[in-house]
Amino acid sequence: MDIYTILKLIWGGILCLLMIGLALMVGMDMGVGTLLRFVGKDDAERRTMLNIIGPHWDGNQVWFVLGGGAIFAAFPTLYATSFSVFYLVMIMLLFSMILRPVAFEYRSKADSTRWRASWDWTFLISGFLPMFIYGAAFGNILSGVGYHFSWTGQYYQDSSFISYLLNPFVILCGLLSVSLSVYQGGVMLMLRSNDPIYSRARNFSRIAGVLAAFLFAAGGVFICFMQGFMLTEPVNTAMPANPLHGQHVARAAGAWLLNYSAHPVLWLLPVAGLASMICGSALVTLKKTVLAWWCGMSAWIGVIGTVAAAMFPFLMPSTTKPDQSLTLWNSTGSLYGLTCMLIVSTIFIPLIITYTSWCYYVMRGKVSTAEIANDPHSY
Amino acid sequence: MQFLRLAGLAAVLVVALLFAVFVGDQGPWYFAWVIGTVMIILISGAGAILFDAQETASDDQEV
Amino acid sequence: MDMIDPTVVELSRFQFALTALYHFMFVPLTLGLTFMLAAMETVYVVTGRKIYKDMAMFWGKLFGINFALGVATGITMEFEFGTNWSMYSRYFGDMFGTPLAIEGLMAFFMESTFVGMMFFGWDRLSKPAHLAITYLVALGSNLSALWILIANASMNVPEGTHFDPETMRLQFDSFVKVVFNPDAQAKFVHTSVAGYVCASLFVMGISSFYLLRKQHRQFAARSFRMAALFGIISTVAVITLGDVLGRMDYEKQPTKIAAIEGLWETSQPPYAPWLLFALPDNEKQTNYLEIGVPYVLTPLITHEFDKPITGMHELQNEAEPHIRSGIEALSALKRYGQTHDQTDLDAFRQHKEDLGFGFLATQFAPGQDVTNISPDEVNKVVEATKPAILPNVFVVFWSFRLMVFLGLSFFLLFAVSAYLSLKKQLERNRWILHLCMWSIPLPVLATEFGWITAEAGRQPWTVFNRLPTFLSSSTHSVTYMAISLAGFALLYSIFIAAELYLMFKFARLGPDEHDTHGTSALSHNAAAPAAH
Repeated sequence: MDIYTILKLIWGGILCLLMIGLALMVGMDMGVGTLLRFVGKDDAERRTMLNIIGPHWDGNQVWFVLGGGAIFAAFPTLYATSFSVFYLVMIMLLFSMILRPVAFEYRSKADSTRWRASWDWTFLISGFLPMFIYGAAFGNILSGVGYHFSWTGQYYQDSSFISYLLNPFVILCGLLSVSLSVYQGGVMLMLRSNDPIYSRARNFSRIAGVLAAFLFAAGGVFICFMQGFMLTEPVNTAMPANPLHGQHVARAAGAWLLNYSAHPVLWLLPVAGLASMICGSALVTLKKTVLAWWCGMSAWIGVIGTVAAAMFPFLMPSTTKPDQSLTLWNSTGSLYGLTCMLIVSTIFIPLIITYTSWCYYVMRGKVSTAEIANDPHSY
Repeated sequence: MQFLRLAGLAAVLVVALLFAVFVGDQGPWYFAWVIGTVMIILISGAGAILFDAQETASDDQEV
Repeated sequence: MDMIDPTVVELSRFQFALTALYHFMFVPLTLGLTFMLAAMETVYVVTGRKIYKDMAMFWGKLFGINFALGVATGITMEFEFGTNWSMYSRYFGDMFGTPLAIEGLMAFFMESTFVGMMFFGWDRLSKPAHLAITYLVALGSNLSALWILIANASMNVPEGTHFDPETMRLQFDSFVKVVFNPDAQAKFVHTSVAGYVCASLFVMGISSFYLLRKQHRQFAARSFRMAALFGIISTVAVITLGDVLGRMDYEKQPTKIAAIEGLWETSQPPYAPWLLFALPDNEKQTNYLEIGVPYVLTPLITHEFDKPITGMHELQNEAEPHIRSGIEALSALKRYGQTHDQTDLDAFRQHKEDLGFGFLATQFAPGQDVTNISPDEVNKVVEATKPAILPNVFVVFWSFRLMVFLGLSFFLLFAVSAYLSLKKQLERNRWILHLCMWSIPLPVLATEFGWITAEAGRQPWTVFNRLPTFLSSSTHSVTYMAISLAGFALLYSIFIAAELYLMFKFARLGPDEHDTHGTSALSHNAAAPAAH
C-alpha cells in the first residue's frame, strides 16, 4: 500500500474516534440537559445537576468544534458538501448548540423564576435537538443524499431538506442517539449526586439503555433491507482527491452488509454495541455506576463502529449521481495536508486527554446542594 | 533530586533559548508579542504594587 | 444548467458579516481580560493581599458573562464555512482547514477546559496552580486568535498553496510559510493587542463608575491603575502594528490600500495628500468633497518619500491582461477535466497564475461560462470585469478612517488616565472618569471597523487573486438564506439583550459583600483607614 492510502485510512480511523469522542463527551452533557427538567424537581436540584457537569461542559463541547475543524482540514470536500446539503438541519443544530453555552453561563445569574424557567427549556432543546440531529445525520448518510458536482467542484443539491427529516429510518437513528445520550447523562448524574437526583437519574438511565438496545436492533433490520451502495469496479485508492472522476458505484438492497459478509469478524461490533447497552442497563440497576459509564462508552464505540464498518469506504453516498459519491479515497486533503494534521494530532490529542482527565480528577466527588449556594461562581 | 531539578531547569532554558532564536528569526512579530505581553503584565502589576506603596507612604485618602 | 444566484451570494456575505462582526463583539474582551485577570492574580500571589483576589474574581465574573457569548458565536463561525461557503471550503479547505483544526486542538481545548477550573477551582487548587490555570486560559484564548488570524491571513495573502488541476483545488504545500506568513504575524499582534485595549477600557470604565459614585474606592482605584497602564502600552502596540499592516497591504494587496486611501489616480510623491474626508463613488470612479493633508500619504504608507502608490484606475488597466489570460486558463482547465489530455494541461500551465481572474470573469459571461464565448464577447466580459476587481471604496475608506480616529483618541485617553492615576488625582478630575465610562464600547467599535476594512478591502475575492467571492458560496435558495438569517437575527438579539442585562446587573452590584472585608483588612497596614 502506498503512503497516501495509508494516511487516508488513518484519517478514516481518526474520524471515527472523533465521532465517538464527540458523541460520548458532548452527548453526556446533552443528556443531562435533556433530563434537567425531568430529574430536577426544584431550582436547587437543577442547579446541582448543572454544577455536576459545570466545570467540564465547555471543554467537552470543544469535541464538537474540533470535529468540525478536523473534518474541514482532513476531509475538505466532505465538510463543504455535507454541511451545505443539510443546510437548514445544520442551521437548526447550530442554533440549538449555541444556546447551550449561554444557558449555562446565564441561567443562575438572575433570580427571577421566569428567567430560570426559560433557560431550563433551552437546556431541554439544546440537549435533545443536537443529539437527535447527530443521529439523524448518520441515518441520512446511510440512506444516501441527493447531490451532484459541477465541473468546477461546486456541489448542487437535488433534494429538499424536508426529505432529510421525514424518513422513519432517520427518525429511528435520531432517537437512538438521544437515548444513548440520556443514558450517559443519567449515569454521570448518578456518579456525582446523592438522592433524590441519584434515584431519578437511575430510572431514566435504565429505561434509556433498554430503549437504545431496542432501537439499535430495529435499525439493524432496516439496514438489511435498505438500498446500500457499493463500488462496482476496483478503485485506485491513492487517486487524487476529486469526486468527479475515477469511481463506479451502484445501489443495491442489502449492499451495506457486503463488508460484513466479506469479513464476518466485523459482526463483533454490533454485538458489542447491543451487549453494552443491555449490560449498561443492568449495571445501572445494580448501582455499579463506574462500570455503567464505561458500558456507555463501549455502546457508542459499537454503534459508530457498526455504521463505519457497513459504509466503508463510503463517507456520503449520492443517490442522484452515485459515481460522485464521497468516499474515503476521493474527499480527503492532500498528502501534505494529511501528514501535517497527523503530526499535530499525535502531539495534541494525548495532551488533551491528559489534562481533561486531570480536570475531572481535581473536581471529583459528589456535588452537594449546600456547596453550590455558597460558591459565587457556580452555575 | 537537586541534580534533577538543575537538569530540568537547564532543559527549560535550552528550549526557551531555541524558541527565542527560531521564532525571533522566522516570526519577529510573534516574538515581539510574547515579550510585549509579559512586559505589559509586569508593568501593570508594578503599577498596582506602586499604588499600595503610595497608600502606605501618605496620609492622603485620595485615589 | 447549474447557475449561481447573485442574490444568494449577497445574502451569504451578509450573514457571514453579521455573524462574524457579532462574534467579534465578545472576542476582544476575552483576549484582553484573560491576561488582565492573570496580572491581577499575579499581584495577589506575589503580595498575598486579598483585594487582588477579589479583583480577579469580580472581573472574572464579568469575563464569564462575556466569554459564554464568545464561545457560542464562535461555534457558528467554525461551521459557517461549510454551511454557506461550500465551494470556498472545498477549494481552499486543504490548507485553510488546517489552522482551524489546530486552533481547536491546541488552543480552544486548552482555553475551554481550563476556564472551568479557573471558575470552580479557587478552593481546590493551590495559589500557584490556580495562577498557572489563569495564565493557560489567557494563553489559550490568544493562541486561538493566533490560528484564526493565520487562517484569515492566508485568505488575504495566500502563502503555502498551489493550484492542482487534478484535484481542482488549492493544495497545501508549506506549513512554515502559512504559519510565518508576515501578514499573519502582524495581524495577530494587531488583533490580540487591540483586545487588550478593549479590556483595559472596559475595566477602567466600570471602575470609573464606582469612583464617581464613591463606591468600592480602593478596589476601583487599583483596577483603574492596572488597566490604565495595561491600556497605554497596548495602544502604542496597536498603532505600531497598524502601520506595519498598512505597508504590508501596500506590497501585497494594492487594491485594498488604494481603496483605503480613496486613491483613484496613482499618487504623486512627495506631495500626495492624505485624505481626511472624501465621499468615494464606485460607479463614477471618483471622490467628492476631498479634504486632505499634503505630504502625508507617501511617508505614511511607504515610509519613504519618493515611492508612488498605484491608483485604482491604473490597477484596473493592469488587471486586463490577467483577466484575458485567466479566461484562457479556465477554458484549458475545463477541456483538461474532460479529456485529460497533455496539450490542454500545457495550455493551462501557461496561464495558471491568472486562473483566479478567469473565475472572476465568469459572473459577467453569458450563462456564467467564459470557456466557450466569441472574441467579441470576451472583450465585453473583460471590460465588465475590470471595475469588479475593486472593493467598495466608500465602505473601506470610511471604516478605516473611523478605526484610525478612534485608535488615536484612545491613545490620548489612556495617556491622560494613566498620568492621573499615577498621580492619584482621578477623583479630582471627574471629567476623565465620565469620559472613560462612556468610552467602554468604543474600542470594540474600532475593532469592528478594523475587520470591515480588512475584509471588505479583500473583495471581490475570498482568497485574494485566487478565488472570487461570487463563486465561493453554497448554492442555496433565497428561502433557505432568509430562514437562517431571520433565525440568526432573532437569536442574536435575544443573546445581546440577556448579556447586557446581566452585565449591567453585575456591574451595578459591584464586588461581592465579602470583598469589603478584603479592602478593610488592608487598612491595618495603611496609615489611612479604608474609606468605606
